[in-house]
Amino acid sequence: MLVRLDQLPPNQCAVVRHIAIDDEETQRLKTLGVCLGRRVEIIKRGDPLILRVFGSRLGLAASLACQVQVEVCQPDQCVLRENDRP
Amino acid sequence: MSRSRNTAAVSPHRHHAFTLALVGNPNSGKTTLFNALTGLRAKTANFAGTTVERKVGRLRLGDQQVVLVDLPGLYSLNSSSPDERLASDVLQGRLAEHPAPDAALVVVDATNLERNLFLVSQLLELDCPVIVALNMMDMARRDGIELDVEQLRAELGCVVMPVSARSGAGLAELKRELARLVGGAMPESVAHRKPECGNCSGCSFQARYDWTEEVSTRVMDAESSRRSAWTEKIDEVVTHPVAGVAVFLMVMMALFALIFWAAKIPMDLIDHLFATVGTGVTALLPDGDLQSMLVNGVIAGVGGILIFLPQICILFFALSLLEDTGYLARAAFVMDKVMRRFGLPGKAFVPMLSAHACAIPAILSARVIENPRDRLVTILITPLMTCSARIPVYAMVTALIFPQSPLKAALVFTGAYAIGILAALGCALLFKHTLLPGGTKPLMIELPPYRLPGLRVALLHTLDRAKMFVKQAGTVILVISLALWALSHYPQSAPPAPALALQAQAAQLDQAGDAAQAGAARAAANRLTAQYSLQHSFAGQIGHAIEPLIRPLGYDWQIGIGIFSSFAAREVIVSTLAIVYGVGEDTGDTPRTSLYDTLRRAQRTDGSPVFTTATCLSLLVFYILAAQCLSTQVVVRRETNSWKWPLFQIAYMSGLAYVAALLTYQTLRWLGCA
Repeated sequence: MLVRLDQLPPNQCAVVRHIAIDDEETQRLKTLGVCLGRRVEIIKRGDPLILRVFGSRLGLAASLACQVQVEVCQPDQCVLRENDRP
Repeated sequence: MSRSRNTAAVSPHRHHAFTLALVGNPNSGKTTLFNALTGLRAKTANFAGTTVERKVGRLRLGDQQVVLVDLPGLYSLNSSSPDERLASDVLQGRLAEHPAPDAALVVVDATNLERNLFLVSQLLELDCPVIVALNMMDMARRDGIELDVEQLRAELGCVVMPVSARSGAGLAELKRELARLVGGAMPESVAHRKPECGNCSGCSFQARYDWTEEVSTRVMDAESSRRSAWTEKIDEVVTHPVAGVAVFLMVMMALFALIFWAAKIPMDLIDHLFATVGTGVTALLPDGDLQSMLVNGVIAGVGGILIFLPQICILFFALSLLEDTGYLARAAFVMDKVMRRFGLPGKAFVPMLSAHACAIPAILSARVIENPRDRLVTILITPLMTCSARIPVYAMVTALIFPQSPLKAALVFTGAYAIGILAALGCALLFKHTLLPGGTKPLMIELPPYRLPGLRVALLHTLDRAKMFVKQAGTVILVISLALWALSHYPQSAPPAPALALQAQAAQLDQAGDAAQAGAARAAANRLTAQYSLQHSFAGQIGHAIEPLIRPLGYDWQIGIGIFSSFAAREVIVSTLAIVYGVGEDTGDTPRTSLYDTLRRAQRTDGSPVFTTATCLSLLVFYILAAQCLSTQVVVRRETNSWKWPLFQIAYMSGLAYVAALLTYQTLRWLGCA
């Protein structure tokens, strides 16, 4: 099930599945780690929100976060890295 | 994944010095490493035709000279931000003015290997020799991160040197490897692995991220790592929508107090020093053009620049420390929502705060804003903030209106500061809906872990900015100061009859042995001469010429001279008015009160007082809003790379000042305050 990133509950691991638009800002977002197949986690909700991605914390405007669709990790899958899956 | 077979090693024979580009993510300790390698020998300029800073330093390796070029911090090579595009162009030799570097030294934050490897993967694909400095090894160890450097070497296929730029550990080994690279004896610098993730389907970065994740998994053992526990605890408070703003306001007030409190003594010293030098030169040289030019043009001009240095140094030092701790990113995070409403980015608070000391360093500090549109809006509104040069003017006006009431004077002062800030926000909002539409780019900012700031980095940064200020603003202020001196000194007129009479009287008193009386008479004669010659100089003529324009604001031609003279620096109006109204030059030993008394008594031709409440407040409003500091415009030109924006800035600020002063004066007159 896909959830908008800004609506993801805090401390819930999720995998980026879809980014709605492709522009300068989402490109920049991708270079910072919010990219298809990457695991993300909300540390603090709100606008702006704080996201844990790729080993660092990212402050992100909700207007950008709402462009990103994520899939919530199942508890047993979360230990797996996305690219370790068959 | 494939291994490149490009074995063309770096040529040891070249005609130019070996150029080494320093590349790395923001917050990777790049600047610390740059400083550790080059020390005080660094120079800051811009990349030709851009506003992106280019820091160049020299590094001696045995008998070899290496030129180290610090590129802007970047996360990737394909982002559309101007800094990152430029860095990518530089690395690939696409800039005509700057040939491609001979090699790249990549700084990697060992505490955040995964993210940093992303950039490394892109750099490895360029045809540029690469050597990796694995920085912050000490902190990684402290955080419980174990890194297998040998394994990383094997994965990347290039030289990887563990260092700690802050403590200096590993720097000697790094230099040794650099010498090997420069000597052309490091084939692995070009024969490294090429991840080749550029043309994968789907998200173009997916394969690259997979690669960096794979590599870091094999290289890093961070099972026990709980590095962010502290950082998260602090962040809970400082990024809180309410508590965070409160912390922000407290930090900013502390910084503000520091700028004004700690700078006071050195500023007084500089003021005193230049006054002494001026008096010394006056005594040493015979009266005449040369003496006047040196004292009133050069020494006054240089003093007028250097007086701001203490504030600027404290400001940049404190900001550098704050940035190094990681707090500045949080402040931008917390302020973003408020600032965004006005079309300003969260980071705009840095220049807006700095501008309360001086607009020039503030405009330089706008470089922290990556987006060009956001940076431009910030630069345009920054000079509306109340800088130190306006304070003497505010002090004069409040002393004229409320001589007996410090409370009311304080209220006027506070109001003046508030008007500046509100006008800035209002103009930003206006630009958002007209000139620079689209609003601010959405916030996207890395919140690095909190760290202890480095004194060395802060000191070198302060030194660099101080040099930049003196060089950029200094030359302009000096030229303007000389030009204004000439305009107020020429054409020369003979001393007026009353002055001659006083001189004759002084001579008689001298003969009578009454030296005190003679001195007083001579001083009065000098004041009259100075007043007369300024009134009849070009500046005086300009004052007369602009009088019809400024009369609706409640000013006469003498105030016009003062406003005109303010183009060197705003505070000059006080000393100019002192001369115009015959009080004599403000040398520090004559109390300002004599000036204020004279101004209060000053009359128009019809006998009514000049400095009424309406005129004073109109003058105050004018000085809050008007663009009068030409050196600011010169810096704006440099930072925006065109004359269009500084000219626009003069036009909109002066227009705003005129209309606001007009409304103030006419309303107050209508209310009967004239």
